[in-house]
Amino acid sequence: MNNILINPQLTAMYPEIFLGIVAFGMLLMGKRTHDWKIYTSIAIISLLISMVLLIRFDSSYVSYYGGAFLISNFGLYFALIMIVSSLYVAFSAGTTLRDNPEVFFATFLFVNVAMIIAAFSMNLIFIFIAFEGVSVGTYILSAYGKTRRNLEASAKYFFTGIIATGFIVLGSSYYYMATGTFNLISGVPEKGPMLIALILLFVGFGFKLALVPMQQWAVDAYDGTSNPVSAYLSSGTKVLAFFILLRVFLVGFSHFYTDVFYLFVIVSIITMTYGNFAALSENNLKRMLAYSSIAQAGYLILVIAVVSGSSSTFAFTVAIFAAMYYSLVYIFMKGGSFLSVGAVRKDKVEVNDLEGIGIKSPLFAVSLSILMLSLAGIPPTAGFFAKYYLFLSLISGNLWWLAVIGILNSAISVFYYLRVITVMFRKNDSNEFNLSSPVMLPLVLAAILTIVLSFVIFYYPQLSSIVYGLGVMGR
Amino acid sequence: MFIIAIFLLLILFAILSFAIKESSWKIATLESLLILILTMVYGILRFTGYNGGFMSSYSYAIDTSIGISFTVGVSALSMALLFLSAVIMFIAIFVSGREKFDRSFYGLMLTTELGLYGLLISRNFLFFYVFWEAIIIPVFMLISIYGGAGKEKAALKFFVYTQIGSVFLLLSILTLFSFYGTANHVFTLNMSKLLDSSFIIKYISEPQPFWTDFLLFGFFFSFLVKMPSFPLHSWLPDAYTSAPYPVSIVLAGAISLMGGYGFFAVLLPIAPVIGSGIAWAIIILGIFSLVYFALVAMFQTDMKRMMAYASAASMGFISISLGIGILSTGYIAYLAVSGGIFQILAHGLIMGLVFSSLYIIKNTSGSQSNLTLSGLFREMPIISTFFLAGIMASLGLPGLAGFIAEASIVLASYQVIGYIIFFIIFGMIITASYHVWTVQKSLNGPYNENLGKLKDGTMMEIAVLSFLFIIILILGIYPSLFYHMILVYVKGVF
Repeated sequence: MNNILINPQLTAMYPEIFLGIVAFGMLLMGKRTHDWKIYTSIAIISLLISMVLLIRFDSSYVSYYGGAFLISNFGLYFALIMIVSSLYVAFSAGTTLRDNPEVFFATFLFVNVAMIIAAFSMNLIFIFIAFEGVSVGTYILSAYGKTRRNLEASAKYFFTGIIATGFIVLGSSYYYMATGTFNLISGVPEKGPMLIALILLFVGFGFKLALVPMQQWAVDAYDGTSNPVSAYLSSGTKVLAFFILLRVFLVGFSHFYTDVFYLFVIVSIITMTYGNFAALSENNLKRMLAYSSIAQAGYLILVIAVVSGSSSTFAFTVAIFAAMYYSLVYIFMKGGSFLSVGAVRKDKVEVNDLEGIGIKSPLFAVSLSILMLSLAGIPPTAGFFAKYYLFLSLISGNLWWLAVIGILNSAISVFYYLRVITVMFRKNDSNEFNLSSPVMLPLVLAAILTIVLSFVIFYYPQLSSIVYGLGVMGR
Repeated sequence: MFIIAIFLLLILFAILSFAIKESSWKIATLESLLILILTMVYGILRFTGYNGGFMSSYSYAIDTSIGISFTVGVSALSMALLFLSAVIMFIAIFVSGREKFDRSFYGLMLTTELGLYGLLISRNFLFFYVFWEAIIIPVFMLISIYGGAGKEKAALKFFVYTQIGSVFLLLSILTLFSFYGTANHVFTLNMSKLLDSSFIIKYISEPQPFWTDFLLFGFFFSFLVKMPSFPLHSWLPDAYTSAPYPVSIVLAGAISLMGGYGFFAVLLPIAPVIGSGIAWAIIILGIFSLVYFALVAMFQTDMKRMMAYASAASMGFISISLGIGILSTGYIAYLAVSGGIFQILAHGLIMGLVFSSLYIIKNTSGSQSNLTLSGLFREMPIISTFFLAGIMASLGLPGLAGFIAEASIVLASYQVIGYIIFFIIFGMIITASYHVWTVQKSLNGPYNENLGKLKDGTMMEIAVLSFLFIIILILGIYPSLFYHMILVYVKGVF
């Protein structure tokens, strides 16, 4: 008995198993009580415990299940920040729930189980299952409000998501055809089916990251769902999708870097330009934030372009570090700004509805301003340092033209982020705000963290040493 | 460590100003006065008998593997500009006592000063860039919250223009960093190491000339936006006009110094890399700015807008001086470049005097248009005198600070570009003409009785403006006070 319990193949799964058991326990408890406070605290505590269980790994490179499961500090880092994003959203999610909190939080924990699995998977089947686990969970979460708008958003999300699933399955089959395995690390594959797999998998996984041309669902879904859920959709699940893209395209397609490079450069340029220009003319606050997260996804996938397009080791290290750092910062700046929408007591929040909040609550206005400056990449916020490393990797990878396009885009984005700031400090007494602690607390926390996280640059050597856990061979 | 102590004190002061509710104006004034005094003491202690290089060098390594460290060093150039920013911030905060601004206004003003100090003392490119950018945020807030008509549009325009400039600055810094790392296998962001023309020629210009152009484009673009120079200036009139007066003083006196500082701290050390084509382009841009802005200013009736253009016009001299410095060698180059640096200092102080006296005029009479104002000498003799003094200094009257700078630049220019200096002279003549014309219309002539009875400035205001005027006068009569150490610095860099 003892032998099985300490068998490394099983201990590797402890965090997932633990969270799964808690989630089922919650569903059972639903017969007794519907108090959201209890479920919120259980969810938070169990997520914290799972973090402790995860940190126990601390190994650089161990693989299980025939190479399908790779325990590395790199995966661990992403697993941890995805849990952090769940923790961040959990608190404010509880307060907005009307009924059946146990179902919500159980689903929430299941999503986390899938996320942790995804962080360590090196096999397309594993990744697909984990990815679907997250997708199905978030379909349920986004439909949770039961109003017409929630259902509409969820339906859009669901139907487009299903199509993406189809693409992933088809892409995986082509991948298998080319390589003879589902493992991401494989021998030299055949070119024809591999390129088809590249396109199909790109469409499937890129869907979740809302890359152009698979972006429109995101705007509608973020707009329609409740604020905590849209915060979660745009932070936690986006980081997951980004991580999967890194794994699949940088490890799985390591023999086809030229094609990966061209694909991602084109998509990245189109995505960020589209996102920024669409956000410029958008008056609805949530839709504006949605377009801005599309643009941010465009910056994120520049990392894939750098790694596939340049042979410099330094560029590789900095790019992956930028990916890690950007993801961490992204959770707070994006999650925080979506949660802040809850401050306005309205269904469809316009940017102008924030008028006068700077006078009623300077704390709110300053915090949201910090998040906006961070999204725009203005120092001394963490968002700047994330962009700094991103553009450093582009320059050291000799991709100056891509850096110029990216940086011009980030200069354009300043327009709509600053509009939010100027609006907040206008004088207007007619707007009503909900400045209770569930709205204020996460926002202020996010603002403080976006400043504090700038100091992560002190830990560059430690963090950059784990980038090899990505699994890219020959670097 | 002295300068770091001043810097830390500024952080404390900025926080204090945000925190204390009561009598925020008094506190902020005292704070900025204290900073000014400390800066002067620092300058006297460290810069008597200055012989080049950086004083108070200090470095705290944050991350050696990627070259980030908090490196501090003060050259004569930084010292002159530190003095200028301390004076300007003190004046701006002091005169703002005429209107009731709240505590966050003063907090933001001191944050701006903090950013300027950080920029001027940093010798690490990351911190240079962080402060370069960080200055924009408080200024943006100051314009967009406390400004007049069209404040939001003006603030946004200001931010976006300077932001587009800064991102190219970032790309240039990253390029230098990346090439240095590849060449020497050491990653550093130390400005003294990266701004080394022999390194750039050997590892960038010769193997990959494209990257040199890329690098120089980024630097020039971002500095020219801040100056502002001719094609990149359209944020200027709106920002100056919409900003509240104290912020206009800061914009004209302190924010414009950033472009000049970039020219002489970043581009001057790598001057051998800059080709003569680029140098000519800079000179022509400078001359064009000078003439064009002077002509535009001539047709303004709003005096604040007019002086905004006048300020931009005199920044044209700085572009000219850098271009001349690159094209020439030896004594002529020293003369041109020192004149350029002196011009930043003189221009800032003069604009401080002009805008603060204009502010008092606007605040008492309610008008800043030279159509309604006339004969102000009768009602406000003392403030009118200060305004006249500022205008005279601005047009380059001998004996005042502006003359020294313009004379050295024009003298040096003649040796290099010959008769093309006719255009510079032409710009100076236009400048003189509309300056005199403005004075004639607003200060002289019959008094416009519709303005009613006006009160002259208070004793305190007169004292502070006299202090500012005396500095301008001293720098005009005895320029070696700064000119000498600037010359030593320039000789060391070239």
